[in-house]
Amino acid sequence: MATTERPQGRPLADRLYDFTVNNRVWRSIIRTGYPNTPRNQMLAVATNVFLHLHPTRIHRTHVKITHTYCLGGLSFFLFLGLTITGVLLMFYYVPSVERAYQDMQALQTDVRFGMLMRNTHRWMAHGMVITVLMHMMRVFYTGAYKPPREFNWIVGVVLLVLTLLLSFTGYLLPWDELAFWAITVGTNMIGSDPVLGEVNQFVMIGGFEVGQNALIRFYTLHVVGLPLIAAIFMAVHFWRIRRDGGLARPL
Amino acid sequence: MVADAPARGPSRSRGAVPSARPRRQREEELLVWPDLVFVEFISALVFTLTFVALAILINAPLQDRANPANTPNPSKAPWYFLNLQELLLHMHPALAGVIVPTVFLIILGAVPFFDTSNEGQGQWLSTPRAWPNLIVGFIVGTVGTWALIIYNSGKHIVVFERFTFDADSFDNFPPLIVDERLREWPESLNWLTSVRALQTDIAWPGELETIPLGETFVRTDLLGLPRGSIQWNFPAWIVEQAIPVNLMVGLPILLCLVAWRLGLAKTRRDFMILMFSGWLGSYLALTMAGTYFRGEGLELLWPWEVRPAES
Repeated sequence: MATTERPQGRPLADRLYDFTVNNRVWRSIIRTGYPNTPRNQMLAVATNVFLHLHPTRIHRTHVKITHTYCLGGLSFFLFLGLTITGVLLMFYYVPSVERAYQDMQALQTDVRFGMLMRNTHRWMAHGMVITVLMHMMRVFYTGAYKPPREFNWIVGVVLLVLTLLLSFTGYLLPWDELAFWAITVGTNMIGSDPVLGEVNQFVMIGGFEVGQNALIRFYTLHVVGLPLIAAIFMAVHFWRIRRDGGLARPL
Repeated sequence: MVADAPARGPSRSRGAVPSARPRRQREEELLVWPDLVFVEFISALVFTLTFVALAILINAPLQDRANPANTPNPSKAPWYFLNLQELLLHMHPALAGVIVPTVFLIILGAVPFFDTSNEGQGQWLSTPRAWPNLIVGFIVGTVGTWALIIYNSGKHIVVFERFTFDADSFDNFPPLIVDERLREWPESLNWLTSVRALQTDIAWPGELETIPLGETFVRTDLLGLPRGSIQWNFPAWIVEQAIPVNLMVGLPILLCLVAWRLGLAKTRRDFMILMFSGWLGSYLALTMAGTYFRGEGLELLWPWEVRPAES
């Protein structure tokens, strides 16, 4: 009778979902279906390589937007966005004094979506400096640096410095007037220390004035050196959040 | 002696820092999937769209090709370093460019070790005097920094002359002080036009400007090394180092003392909030001054008088 018949007229969305999910290819990538039970939801977080930095459960107050304003997460999000747009920009940019400025112009005029990539990269870079500073303010005013999170505050200060350095090294790359003089003024500040200033400035810009050596140093630090160091510190930073018992909350 | 150690109180000293979460309250917890993962996903989506929209609307600047022979005026560092560039105008370069930021970062990193209590943890400004300390610290930091910037740029002279009716510049401004003798900044007070004026407008005895440190005091020649020839310029040292260091160390201490005597700040958390907010105000003031108020020759001007750099 009717009870034994296949149900007729299932919604299209259901059939599409089945078609997409119930096949060998999909199942080879994601072994489970949508996690419907609390147990499966916790497993989904704990066994996924991208999600497993999270704990499986968090305190109710931690998902309240006004508790953190997502500022730390936003800083990380901007770091990822900067990595993606940065890699795309690297396709078109050669860090040589002769070519850098031409490449920038070509990027803006000849490359499809080049201007969009460059703009996104630049605004995200400024945005990251701002969100990192605001994240520090949030952590301070919520008293989240208190024991047992002292060390993570220090890691955060290091990440703030790395963020500023990343932004500063990227500032030179367009090789226009703005870049050149901002880096000249900035590195002169370091050079003004009477004891080690000159040595430091020389090491930083690879000469007595900003030129090819400075450009290649800043470029290498900007695209490889500093992001790697920042990634290591970020890994420690995020790991320590969990080890220290999640976000701070009143005892 | 080992037996005495536990008498010092709860064993908090080594390794036994209390867990942040002594007991789990399952009923207070949410599952990360879906409650957090979806929030993260949505906010990633929103901010991707925001930044793409921003990138479509506003183009990143690209000026003329760099030309080392052609210095623009003013030439400025990136905006987040303009606070340091502003500091450079007021003190010895080594102090502003290296020592102040280094010492500041060390102090900033040490914040959790000054304030080790759990008071006010995990909640926005939840201690009793948090907001008053924040507001007082921020206002004192902002106003104090601006006052120092204005003084050291000699702009208090402009204010003075406005009040005493300098007929040339302010035709339509009613004179507040009509005494002829007070209309101009008195020459005998020239040493009060800026901090630098202490060096240039006081008749320092010549020998104080060239104290031969290397020859008389630091006798490197006695160690078999070449004889040094360092000359210590005492007035310059006062202006570039002694006064700035004393202000940067002394004014925060003074603020703490006053706040303590007034009962505004009582616990370490109070002092932390006061100092952090004071720094924040000062930092913003310096960044603003460097970004919007420094024109040609890095002179202090109103933002609408600042023209973009010409090279």
